[in-house]
Amino acid sequence: MSRPSDLIQGTLDLLILKTVALEPKHGWAIAKRIQQMSKDVLLITQGSLYPALHRLEQQGWLKAQAGVTETGREAKFYALTAAGRKQLARELESWERLSTAIGLVVREAE
Amino acid sequence: MRRWLDRVWRRIQSLTRARQVDRALRREIETHLQIQIDENVAAGMSPREARAAALREFGSAAIIEEQCRDTRRVSFVENVIRDLRYTLRSLARQPLLVIAATTSIAVAVAANATIFNLANQLLLSGPTARRVDRLVYIRMGNGSHVSYNRWKALNESGALAGVAGYQIEIEVNWRGPDRSASLMPLAVTANFFDVVGVPLAMGRGFAAAEAAAEKHPTVVVISHRFWQTRLAGDPEILGKVLVFNGQPYTVLGVLAPGLRAVPGYGIAPEVYLPVSTELIPDLMHPNGAAVQLIGRLHDGQSLGDGRAALASVAQRPLSGENGRSYAAVDRFVRADGVDHASDFPGIGSFLAVLMVAVGLILAIACANVAGLLLARGTVRRREIAVRVALGASRSRLLQQLLTEGLWLATIGTIAGVVLSLVLVDTLSRIALPLPIPFELHATLDARLMLYAVVLLAVTAILCALVPALQATRPSLVPALKQEEPRYAYRRWTLRSVLVIGQVAVALVLLVTASLFLRNLSRAGQVDTGFDTAHTVVAQVSFVEGHYTRETRADFLESVVGRLRALPGIVAATYSTGVPLAMRSGMTTGADLRIAEGGEPFHAMYQVNLVGPEYFTTMGIRLIRGREFALTDRPGARGVAIINESFARRFFDNADPVGRHLLLPGPGKPYPAEIVGVVADGKYRTVGEDQQLAIYEPFLQRGNRGRFVHVLVRTTDRPDAVAHDVQRVLSEMDSSAAVDVQPMQAALAFAFMPSRLGAGLLGTLGALGLALAMAGLYALVSYAVSRRTGEIGIRMALGASQGAVLRMVLVDAALMAAIGVAIGLGTARLVTRPLSMFLVSGLSASDPIALVGTAGLFALVSLAAAWMPARRAMKIDPVSALRAE
Repeated sequence: MSRPSDLIQGTLDLLILKTVALEPKHGWAIAKRIQQMSKDVLLITQGSLYPALHRLEQQGWLKAQAGVTETGREAKFYALTAAGRKQLARELESWERLSTAIGLVVREAE
Repeated sequence: MRRWLDRVWRRIQSLTRARQVDRALRREIETHLQIQIDENVAAGMSPREARAAALREFGSAAIIEEQCRDTRRVSFVENVIRDLRYTLRSLARQPLLVIAATTSIAVAVAANATIFNLANQLLLSGPTARRVDRLVYIRMGNGSHVSYNRWKALNESGALAGVAGYQIEIEVNWRGPDRSASLMPLAVTANFFDVVGVPLAMGRGFAAAEAAAEKHPTVVVISHRFWQTRLAGDPEILGKVLVFNGQPYTVLGVLAPGLRAVPGYGIAPEVYLPVSTELIPDLMHPNGAAVQLIGRLHDGQSLGDGRAALASVAQRPLSGENGRSYAAVDRFVRADGVDHASDFPGIGSFLAVLMVAVGLILAIACANVAGLLLARGTVRRREIAVRVALGASRSRLLQQLLTEGLWLATIGTIAGVVLSLVLVDTLSRIALPLPIPFELHATLDARLMLYAVVLLAVTAILCALVPALQATRPSLVPALKQEEPRYAYRRWTLRSVLVIGQVAVALVLLVTASLFLRNLSRAGQVDTGFDTAHTVVAQVSFVEGHYTRETRADFLESVVGRLRALPGIVAATYSTGVPLAMRSGMTTGADLRIAEGGEPFHAMYQVNLVGPEYFTTMGIRLIRGREFALTDRPGARGVAIINESFARRFFDNADPVGRHLLLPGPGKPYPAEIVGVVADGKYRTVGEDQQLAIYEPFLQRGNRGRFVHVLVRTTDRPDAVAHDVQRVLSEMDSSAAVDVQPMQAALAFAFMPSRLGAGLLGTLGALGLALAMAGLYALVSYAVSRRTGEIGIRMALGASQGAVLRMVLVDAALMAAIGVAIGLGTARLVTRPLSMFLVSGLSASDPIALVGTAGLFALVSLAAAWMPARRAMKIDPVSALRAE
C-alpha cells in the first residue's frame, strides 16, 4: 500500500488530472479509479484527495459541477478545464522525463 | 494574466463566501461517505458496519476541512477577522484597561495630529485654487518682487498660460461703521482671479479687463471672514461700496470660506484689491519691486518647459530698467509642493522641534500601553500556555496579541484625531498679536488622514509587539502548572526598563520646556531700556497723500499739544519706530566717518526718527547733552543723538557731544552734530545682543511714510488714558487708522515667539510628565499587588510598616533616578540647537532649569509611588498569607 507521502511529490495531481481527463468524475470515483487502475497499489486517502481536488479547482485546472452518480446520489463532479488539459500535458511530459531518468539511473546501478 | 486574475477572483470568492464553500465541502464529504457505505453494503456488510468502516477509512473530516481551507490560502485574512472579533470581546471585559490605554494613545495622537496639522497648513499645503497642481511660484532676477512692467511683459508673452502678481506688504485704511481700521490687503494684478481661480462663495472675482491698474480700478473682493466678522455677513453686500484710503470700492465678490491664500504660511488677507498707483504710489516705476509672481502652466507644459519658456522671454531688458537682469529664473516650483517650506527656516525648524517633541510623547504613551499589556500578559500566562499546548503556533498567537494592540491603537487614534480637530478649531479662534491676519482650519485632509494611519500603525506595533513577544515566550510547563515565581520578585523586568525610558524622555521634554519658560520669565524682567509701565502707544496710519511733510509735522505738533493738556499726561511725542513693537525702526549698515578726523568705519546700527520730548516720554535716560527740540527743523543744522554703546565704541572715552558724524543722506553724506547721548536699550528683539543706535530728529529727517507712532507718558494707569488718546486722534483726523494700546500690550509681538514656544512646549512637557508618572504609578501598583504574599511574610516575620513603605519607595526612586540621570544627559545634547531661540545670557544648559526639573521629577515620582506604597504598608499579613 502506498500512502500519499510516499508518492513522488506532485504525482497525485497528475493522477487526478489523468483520471478525470476522459469524463467528469466525483471524488469517490476518482479515488476508486486510481486504486483500480494501479491494481490496488495506489490507495488515495480522502485526507489527501479532497485538499488536492480543492487546490486543483483553485488553480483553475478543474471545474466542478453537480451531477448524479450511478447509484442515484447527488455529487460534485470534477471535469478538466482547457487550462487543466494543458497542465496535464505538461505534467505527463515531466513525468516521462523523470521516470526515464530514474529508470536509467536504476538500471545503470544494476 | 487572465488566469491569474481568475485565481484571485476565486480566492476572493472563497473569502466572501467562506461559509458557503465550507458547507459545500461538508456536503461533498458526506456524499463520499454515503457512496462508500452503499459500496460496503453491496459488498455484504450490515448498514451499521458499513458506516463504521467508511468512517474509519475516511479519517477526520475536520482535518480535511481545515486542509482544504488552507489550500484556499485565505486563512490569514480569516484569522485576522476572527482575532478582531475575539480580542474585541476580551477587551470588552477589561474596560479599565481599554480606557487607560486609549486615553494614553488619544492624548499623544492629539498632540501629534495637532502639530502635524499646523505644519501641514503653514508649510506644506498649496493655495486653494483651480488645478493647483498647474500653478507655480516664480522668482526671477535675484529678488522676490518684479516691476509692474515686467509682470505685464511676462504675462503677455504667453510663455505660460498666465502670470499673475500679488503684493502683501501694503496696508490700507478701511473706514468701518464705527471706526477706521488698518487692513493688510492682498493687492493683486487684474488677471489674478483669472489665472489662479480662487473659489468664491458669492459674486465674482474681477476680470482682467475691468481691473487693469491703468484704469484706476475701484473694485474689491472680500474674504469670507471679513464679510462675517466686519460686515456682519450682510447678505446684500454685492454691489455695495467700501471705503479704503478714502476711496469708494465696489464689492464684486466674497471668497469661499476656509481657503488657503496664495502667499501661504496661513496668511489670510481680508480684502483683495487690484494693484493701482493709489495703493502703491511707485507701482509704475520701471525698477520698482511691485509684485510677487504666481503662474499657471499651459496644458501639457512640463515644469522644465515652463521655466525655459519664461527664461527665454525675460532675456531682453525693458525700457527704463537700470540693468537688473531677469534672465535667471531663480525659483519655479509647484504651488502645491513642499518646496516653499524652505523659505522660512525659523518656523520650519521650530515646527521640527515640536514634531520631535510630540513624537516623544507618543513613545511615552505607547510605553504606557505596552506596560499595561505586559502586566496583562503575565496574568494571561496560563491561557496562552494552554493555547500553545493545544497546538497554536507562536506566530498565530503573536498575530492575535498584535490585534489587541491594533484595537487599542484604532480607538485611541480616532479619539485623538477628533480631539486634535477640536483643539485646532479652538486655536484658530485665538487672536495672536501678529501684524498679518492668519487663519487656521480644522479640516481633515488627505495628508492628515494618511498621517493618522501611519500613527495608528506605529502605535499598534509600539504598544503590542514587545508585550506579545514577551507573553508568547515559550516556557510552557511552569505556566501550565501556574508556578509563578511568587517570592522571587524580579526587580529589573522589561516594564521597569520601559518606565525608566519614559522618565528619561519626559525629562528631556520638560527640561526643554522649562528652558523656554525660564527664557520667558527672563524676557519679562529684561531691562528694555525704556519705561513700559507708564507709556501708551498709538499706531497711526494716515491715508496716502493726505499730508505733505510740513502739514504732517504741524498736525503731529498740534496732536501732541492737545494731549499734553490732558489730565494725567505728563509728556507726549511722536516717532517712526517704537522699540520692540511691530515697527521698531530700521536697521542700517553704512560707512560712517567722524568729521573731526579719523578713518571711516563700517557700522550696523538702529535708526529711529523721534520727536521732541521722546526720551522723556519713553523714560530713556539722557546721559549727556540735550533732547531734540522744535528748532531741529529742515534748514537748521543737522543733529543726531547716539546711544551709549555707539559712543563707547567709536568715541573711546572722549565726549562725543559737539562732534559731527557724517551720516548717509540722499545723494551724499551730510554732517550731523551729536547733541546728546542716551542709555542703551533693546531695539528689535528681547534676545538681541546690545545694538548701536542713532536717533535723528523726526521734524528734520522725517520721511514721507504713512506710519507714525504717537507716544504718551502718564502718571495714571496706561489703559485709562488710552481712550483719551484714541478720541483726540480720531477727532483731529477721522481718516487715519488709529490703534492705541498700553506699551506692554503693544510689545506682545516681541514676546510672542518665546511665549508661544513656552506655551506649546510647556504643555507638551506637562503631558509627557503626566504620562510617564501614570506609567510609574501603574508599575508600582502592579508590583505591590504581585508582592502581596512576600510582603505578608516579611511583616509576619517582623518587618515594620515603615520598612515595607521604604522597600516599595526605594524601588520606585531607583527607577526614577536612573531615568532622570539618562534624561539629564540627553537633555544637554538636545537643547543645544534650541539656544538660538533663547535670550542672550541664558544658556541651553541652564542649571536652574536642569536641577529644577530633576527636583520636580523626584517629587512627582514620589507622589506617584506613594499611593501603592501606602497600600503595601496596609497589607494585613494574616489575610495575605491565608490567600496562598
